[in-house]
Amino acid sequence: MTLDADTIRHMSETSVSIELETEDMTLNIGPQHPSTHGVLRLVARVDGERCFDVRPVIGYMHRGYEKLSEVRTYPQITTIVNRIDWVSGYANEVPFIVAAEKLMELEVPERAQYIRLILTEMARISSHLVFNASYPLELGAATPLFFALRERERVLDLLESVTGGRFHPNFNRIGGVKPAYASGSQTRKLAQDLPAGFLQETRDAMDKVLTAVDELEDLVAGNEIILARTKGVGVLPPEVAVAYGVSGPNLRASGVAFDLRKTEDYLPYDRFDFDVITGENGDCWDRWHVRLQEIRESVKIIQQAVDSIPSGDLQAKVPKVIKVPKGQTYVRAENPKGEMGYYLVSDGGNGPYRLKIRSASFSNISILPWILEGILVPDIIAVMGSLDFVLGDVDR
Amino acid sequence: MPGWVTDLFSNFWVSLGGKLLLVALMIPLVGMIIGFAEMKLSAKMQARVGPYFAGGRWGWAQLIADGVKFFQKEDIVPTDADRPVFKTAPMLVLVGTVALLVVIPFGPNLIFRDLDVGIFYALAISSLSTIGILMAGWSSANKYSLIGGLRAAGQLIAYELPLVLAVVGSVILAGTMSMQGIVQAQIDAGYPFIIFQFVGFGIFMIASLAELSRIPFDMPIAESELVMGYLTEYSGFRFLFFFLAEFANMFTLSAIAATLFLGGYWLPGVPEDVLAYAGPIILIAKVFLLVFAMIWFRWTFPRFREDQLQRLAWMWLVPLALINITVTAFLKVLL
Amino acid sequence: MTSSPSDTETHDGGAQETEAPEHPLQGFADRVAEAVGGSPEIQFDTVKVRIPAEGWVAAHQTARDDLDLVFFSWLSAIDWSNQVEAGDPLSEEVEERIELMTALSNVTDGDLVVMSTDLSHESPTIPSLVDVYAGADWHEREAYEMFGIQFAGHPNLIHLYLPDAFVGNPLRKSYPLLSREVKPWPGAVDVEAMPGRNGSDEPSTENPEA
Repeated sequence: MTLDADTIRHMSETSVSIELETEDMTLNIGPQHPSTHGVLRLVARVDGERCFDVRPVIGYMHRGYEKLSEVRTYPQITTIVNRIDWVSGYANEVPFIVAAEKLMELEVPERAQYIRLILTEMARISSHLVFNASYPLELGAATPLFFALRERERVLDLLESVTGGRFHPNFNRIGGVKPAYASGSQTRKLAQDLPAGFLQETRDAMDKVLTAVDELEDLVAGNEIILARTKGVGVLPPEVAVAYGVSGPNLRASGVAFDLRKTEDYLPYDRFDFDVITGENGDCWDRWHVRLQEIRESVKIIQQAVDSIPSGDLQAKVPKVIKVPKGQTYVRAENPKGEMGYYLVSDGGNGPYRLKIRSASFSNISILPWILEGILVPDIIAVMGSLDFVLGDVDR
Repeated sequence: MPGWVTDLFSNFWVSLGGKLLLVALMIPLVGMIIGFAEMKLSAKMQARVGPYFAGGRWGWAQLIADGVKFFQKEDIVPTDADRPVFKTAPMLVLVGTVALLVVIPFGPNLIFRDLDVGIFYALAISSLSTIGILMAGWSSANKYSLIGGLRAAGQLIAYELPLVLAVVGSVILAGTMSMQGIVQAQIDAGYPFIIFQFVGFGIFMIASLAELSRIPFDMPIAESELVMGYLTEYSGFRFLFFFLAEFANMFTLSAIAATLFLGGYWLPGVPEDVLAYAGPIILIAKVFLLVFAMIWFRWTFPRFREDQLQRLAWMWLVPLALINITVTAFLKVLL
Repeated sequence: MTSSPSDTETHDGGAQETEAPEHPLQGFADRVAEAVGGSPEIQFDTVKVRIPAEGWVAAHQTARDDLDLVFFSWLSAIDWSNQVEAGDPLSEEVEERIELMTALSNVTDGDLVVMSTDLSHESPTIPSLVDVYAGADWHEREAYEMFGIQFAGHPNLIHLYLPDAFVGNPLRKSYPLLSREVKPWPGAVDVEAMPGRNGSDEPSTENPEA
């Protein structure tokens, strides 16, 4: 079915004539809408409560990252890249930095890698807690929002104490992480490590997060209405998911046990013991459940990392002006939303020749036309919420 | 009471004026109190504080401030809207609520008018709000409102039936449809009817939540999907009507439930002459309990989908209510 | 992170390498290249297989069916051009072309291969991959609007991000970055040193050993 300009702009109304012939209605959901996670527009043709054709219209948030990265130097790109998926800010920087370090053939100190890993897992907890806050709200339950966001504040406080920023930490540097400086003129020239007491605070916060996850599970998981709204709704078969490039918890909820933390070596995940959570049916319930359990796994990883973090430098020796030698590489990472990857084409200059950003939510919502076919209007919201996308990630 | 007061109020017009004034005062007052209770209670359930700044540390003036705010807003009517229908809809919804107050007994002699068909009248007049909601949804010239209005039509009509049927059990036990008569029957029997009519009570509470369009039955409003459903285009003064109507309706439906099932203004062990003064307080205490339950449900549950909602009404509540009536009738005849 | 050589398998039947140990992905790369008829190379842990443009769709079909590379990660292009309007030009001259790339992976070990082919610089056309991988739909639309690549057989080749009336292909090297036209880069602010902690004007102390 082609959607030309007239079809999209045509606002037909339901009309009842003597023969009870009704027309279908074209409903615009978005771009300003409480539930579209940003400026996403869905053009839906509905017949009563059932919609039979949904076309997403994206691009309202296109900021031109790939073109922008061609005119920036590597440290500058680090500052802008964490705004792609702003809910899990720190996790966006890591694969880019790893790609640049790969081309420079740098050995990143162990301590820096551990810090990166801890902060990435905190970003994952933060992102999944936002999901747990907003998804029940879209179904109508307003209370888990407050509980989940309250716990998220603990994680954000930890992130802030280390990096100085809650959402856009900008903490990675080529070769390691930013050497944190203490305040005061005396210690200005000394590199100071993680703030004092950070490791113990992390341990305490992780215990509280675990308790909160139990609470959330009690509040939401057993609720019959939530089960009725999410079980069997929006089923995504695994073959369709992989063909569209759906990744992350969405793919794992469909039963495919594929976690890039286990298969890639951008961070030392192989030293830690954690499970890959999968779902059974690939419906909205499974997607919710996988994300909730992943918070527990992330807490496990953080607890192990905090107990075994080695001492050492925070950054390898790099020249003041970073020039990355010629080469091409693709580094993919398991971001909270899915697979995030950077294909870096470098020509030996200050900045990349081409940076292709593979963002998770772009592929995740490309299945919307497929999955929303023949679905009821309230279920559109349930399915969209369960895919957990962010428009910055979609549009870059 | 001094003689001149009773003489004054025995004049029909004066007593009518007095009653109208009382109703006109009660509705906003009740609406504001319940609204404030909702804000504070929901805050407590959500680890928040709620209104804090308006009127000292308790924030009791919050709703007064909200009322004034709504009053002084611009009256916006969408260009394509059907103006007379658009303007009348909120009034109809409010009328449906206010008219219910007429038959609620606050004490042995404290009722606006004790109709013989009290409960029948109450249920019939509360359906007037349904028409008001439909009018609001249609006349707003907005697709979201239309969908909200259609959902409201389906839901409210579907839940009228369980509401009515649930009440019949109590009526059978009381033997009369007059509200005062029902309370008197409970006083004579010595126990509130909920002891035997718990099924009816449960159905009535669920159906009244649906009639109020509150979560878990707020598909017509469905904030996260339809912006505000049939209320989307209403702002200012007219929105205030809807807003107040919802809270006042909570009060009136809970009062009807308290009267029919919980014994109304009577508590076991309270002597008759005290009831004339303590009656309203007892009734309001029971109403507050029920309203608290409604607020609790709202903030705990998500919302039903439209078809699940309809399935609940037609396949569960209606058969249960019919069984309840049959069993009650049998037992009444046999015992 | 450096690429760590592994001492596990050699896929060429047991003959030991006398020079540097083989890259762990070499076997995978050779297998893919042989099946789709292209030439492999491994750059910095990324397996890349170059395919002639005629065999593009068939190669992907083989990859999906025979090599179990069912996960469609992304599709994009690189504009190899000697004239650049925004950014730095290439250090040495290249043959001007549009290089189209897809990244495919399996969902068991995460082996990823980047398939690449070269298209003409002026009017790149290639058959669409939507029949092989349904996810190519949106990626091809993005490549169409950003680079001007025509995908033959695509059901809905219209703009994805950009407004319908937009003219031009932004990611081409010949497309200028308009804000640079207005304000030259780097601006004066950007070469100024970061102020010191007490407001003094000393340079940044970020890499003291550098």
